[in-house]
Amino acid sequence: MKSDMEKGVKKGLPGGVDFGAVLRTYGIVIGLMIIIVAAAVLEPTFLTKNNVLNILRNMIVTGLSALSMTYVFMLGMMDLSVGSIISLSGVVCVTLANKFVQTDAQDANTYPIILVAVLLGAVMGAVNGSIITLIKGRLGASFIITYGTQIVFSAIAMLYTGGNFIFGSYYKGTYAAFGKGLLPIWLFLVIAAMMQFILKSTKYGKSISFIGANRDCAYMSGLNVGKYIIITFIVSGICSALSGFYVTARIGSATPIQGNGYELNAIAACVVGGTSMQGGTGSVINTVIGVLVLTVLNNALNVLGIDSNSQLLFRGVIIILSVTLDMFNKKYAVKKG
Amino acid sequence: MTKSSLGKVDGREIKKFLLSKSVLIVLILFAAVMGFIYPEFLSFSNISNMLQDISMYGVAACGMTILIIGGDFDLSASSQYAWAMILCISMTSIVGPVAAMLITLISGIVLGIVNGLLVAKVNLNSFTATLGTQLVIRGLCLAYTGGQMINTQNETFTAIGNYKLLGFSSLTYVYFITIVVVSFVLYKTRFGRNLYAVGGNAQVAKFAGINTSLTKIAGFACMGLLCAIAGLMFVAQMRAGSVLYGTDLTMSCVAATVIGGTSLSGGSGNVVRTLIGMILINVLYKALIFLGLSSYLQDMTKGIVVILVVVFDYFTSSIGRRTKSVTV
Repeated sequence: MKSDMEKGVKKGLPGGVDFGAVLRTYGIVIGLMIIIVAAAVLEPTFLTKNNVLNILRNMIVTGLSALSMTYVFMLGMMDLSVGSIISLSGVVCVTLANKFVQTDAQDANTYPIILVAVLLGAVMGAVNGSIITLIKGRLGASFIITYGTQIVFSAIAMLYTGGNFIFGSYYKGTYAAFGKGLLPIWLFLVIAAMMQFILKSTKYGKSISFIGANRDCAYMSGLNVGKYIIITFIVSGICSALSGFYVTARIGSATPIQGNGYELNAIAACVVGGTSMQGGTGSVINTVIGVLVLTVLNNALNVLGIDSNSQLLFRGVIIILSVTLDMFNKKYAVKKG
Repeated sequence: MTKSSLGKVDGREIKKFLLSKSVLIVLILFAAVMGFIYPEFLSFSNISNMLQDISMYGVAACGMTILIIGGDFDLSASSQYAWAMILCISMTSIVGPVAAMLITLISGIVLGIVNGLLVAKVNLNSFTATLGTQLVIRGLCLAYTGGQMINTQNETFTAIGNYKLLGFSSLTYVYFITIVVVSFVLYKTRFGRNLYAVGGNAQVAKFAGINTSLTKIAGFACMGLLCAIAGLMFVAQMRAGSVLYGTDLTMSCVAATVIGGTSLSGGSGNVVRTLIGMILINVLYKALIFLGLSSYLQDMTKGIVVILVVVFDYFTSSIGRRTKSVTV
């Protein structure tokens, strides 16, 4: 564990002057720059205002879940139910909106709907967290339990809609505003900043990092491990539910399968950002950069007219490259420390 | 004599034995109840159909069990499965069916070794490494087929897929031979024993002189080979291939392994348990179809069963196995 701490200290130091250190510390940011420059040179429309805003807005869907996935990773766990929570919260939001937000006078009803989504996400997260705490589970248990709840939540979304696409009949006002313009981007940045602050500067953040680094030790120091696990999964549920709401605000409709696969996107974003799956270390800012890399790459490939089939390939390569880079970073830090 | 020894068997021993066979007991009870309500449920044709249905995923699940025993994990299983189908079908038109199958098997081993190298040599977490290779392999398949289904009319595959012996399909035999071979490898070979040691505690295994990275790479190679065999079985039965087939393969294999009672933390388990897990899931599915439930409810039941089994396993493990010193 000592070496881990040393690594953390090493990472915190300023990069130094030699090129190798810069590359190791800011490799992912440099990669992002290269993608942006290459896309901008090859296709000038890439850097237009509309496209940039589009990238930022697209980023939020995966981004919100990825933020909370960072917390879950810090615990040394995983949440595979994220995608199903996005789907379920999305269909519930649109159904409620179809009932309660039908005229301009009912515009303020949007806020209770968001509250319902948050509560729904919290309940689903609490279910995940409670079961995992009940069996005193670690990575393996969190994996299989959230896989189980993923199936259950997605089946509930299917039953709720009968498997149908739900069209939002009134798509104006506040509800739609959450998916347009600069508002969602600002909100996302505020949430990200808040989560980074909580992670780095509060008792809760320090505790989950401690639990992730050495759970037995945390338990023996008197931390209520179960409580922190449940809270973390509740946070994960809430963020994913908000992401589900955001999708419906953006496109004005919902399907019970729209969140499928988002859990892997969120995990990929954390991994590309350099959060380790071993737990104990991680940063929300890095995750935001990770989400940005994946979204920019996706958009750049789209703008360049590369078909969606080959895009998977690029994404896979980026993931492997970034985790390999991260691994070499750590090896180097251990060697030097 | 027998009476006295019987008398000595205390309740705890019986409880331990019953709990260690709990999944099998649940399966037998469940099948008996279903057979009582619907006699055709236990008919020979239904059973042989079921064994044929589970055989493809079952073979891949054997590979997943090997990996999980070694403490690793493979998310790219479904991509490797699709890759095997597509490669085999496209090669058949060029070099003929037998050579195509051989090439597919070799490519499966190669893909497995690539995964293994990423995990054992580059030291990546098996989950992240295979998350990446999953996308790469899927991307290659999609780019090659353009997302279309491809098929073959070769008679060799028809002959293999339709062959039946004693009422059981050839695929069922392939599955059972795989189980026997993998069990032998796990229990009787040096590689198999090393795998348990590495899965139990990689650090200790390394200090004991086991080549842990080679063991891990070999485990991934087995996984690749078995996924390729599963893909070939699919081709033999359907004579078609597409990335859309078997997208749930990875998680179904993990579910079957876990329901069978192989611990996700590694170091224990066997493929016969996975077979029982596979059958239990399938019997459950079939039962829900017989009962006329909607497919969404079937999915939901599958999820609930997975959760219940893990929770149940935790509460019984304190009786069945040694408890860990610190249980946080």
